[in-house]
Amino acid sequence: MRYSRLKIIFPIGLFLALFLDGSLSNVFAGHLFSYPYSSALHLVLLWLIFAIFLDDRDDLAVGLWSGFVGLVFDLYYTGVVGVYVVALPLIVYLCRQIKPWLDLNFLTLLMVYIINLTIVEAFVYIWYSMSNVIDGNLADFAVYTLGPTIAVNLAIFVILYYPVRRLYFSVN
Amino acid sequence: MQKFFSNRKLVIAIIVLIISFGLMSVSVAIRDKKSTPPLIQQFGNDVAGAVDRVVALPVNGLQGATNSVSDLLNTYQENQKLKKQVDQLAQAKVTAQTTSAENKQLRKELKLNDSLSNYTSVTANVLTRTPSSWMNQLVISKGATAGIKKNMPVMSQSGLIGRVVEVNQTNSKVELISNTSSTANKFAIQITNKAGKTVNGIISGYDKSANTLEMGSVTSNVKIKKGDKVVTSGLGGTTPKGLYVGTVASVKQDDYGLASEVEITPAADLSDLTVVTVAEQ
Repeated sequence: MRYSRLKIIFPIGLFLALFLDGSLSNVFAGHLFSYPYSSALHLVLLWLIFAIFLDDRDDLAVGLWSGFVGLVFDLYYTGVVGVYVVALPLIVYLCRQIKPWLDLNFLTLLMVYIINLTIVEAFVYIWYSMSNVIDGNLADFAVYTLGPTIAVNLAIFVILYYPVRRLYFSVN
Repeated sequence: MQKFFSNRKLVIAIIVLIISFGLMSVSVAIRDKKSTPPLIQQFGNDVAGAVDRVVALPVNGLQGATNSVSDLLNTYQENQKLKKQVDQLAQAKVTAQTTSAENKQLRKELKLNDSLSNYTSVTANVLTRTPSSWMNQLVISKGATAGIKKNMPVMSQSGLIGRVVEVNQTNSKVELISNTSSTANKFAIQITNKAGKTVNGIISGYDKSANTLEMGSVTSNVKIKKGDKVVTSGLGGTTPKGLYVGTVASVKQDDYGLASEVEITPAADLSDLTVVTVAEQ
């Protein structure tokens, strides 16, 4: 497959991930948000991280698209602008910085994903609690939200890692 | 040179964070105003909603299919149970019909055209749920063009589930009653006991662990028992009277021992929503 085709597949996959996040959250609401645990899906973040680390050419406009998809997330899902629109490009920037130092394999990428999930969830938590959108203490956040979120998303990571890697190998 | 470079990055980072925080503060501050969201945001949301329909439809279809399979497995037991209820229902329906006809007649004689309990309903599909641990919000498939306005109450087939918080042209956002944040709007409700006496109050919170709504600061002497029906009271203007909320689960003293607190089991299952009804007064 030609590389140019990836430039079309990447944004389409990104928006598919965005809307699947919401749809699957609704369908599995009983499982994802059962008290006291609540876990959010992060397919968008997963797709971004795959694009940054699996694409060897670094020729996709990941930063730009991540900002755009973050804006759509803020407007469409939450109505509070300025949270994901900053969080996602921040993640892309950080990943681009650490990429040269990483020996890329399944486990290191898994670690990177855990760290990025933590950063995004913490960023969103701090931002929302500063503007009084939510009230909750830090311990509850770590145990009942961050933990289950990482668990659920790691499971999805394990399932999707090999198919997506194949896609990127076929173009590079 | 190196130092200057890192300083510049720091400045950029701080500016970005300030802009982000500013945007967020503004959008939180203007969230409750009637005129929001602004047209451009509405347009963006409408486009996103249109694309979302393409993704949401197959996923919802898949959910429908799995639901039908599990329904099929439970059919026998359900049938037994429902048969018993049907006989009682027919009677209740006839009584309700006669009373509502009588009610209409009496209202006409009193020249009462608008009552608190009158409303028309708009049915909408649930497109998606906010994939966040912090916001219990849904996006539904009807908006301003279908006559939906801010603060309208939203129900599932079985009872009240929340209210509309943001209206675009073709879709709108619904905040569920399980949202406990301090900015959430509260519903005015009414409990009627077996003797016909009523107690008014507002939904003051949601207890996640027991999945119950709380109605706090009740100082009335009216005896409320487990199983008493709870409906919206229609006070406060935007919500019609008589929307079913749930039943009383328990009554207990509040933390200070002065007033009592009523726990209410919501009639609707907040984690399984595919079609909702918006009540329009």
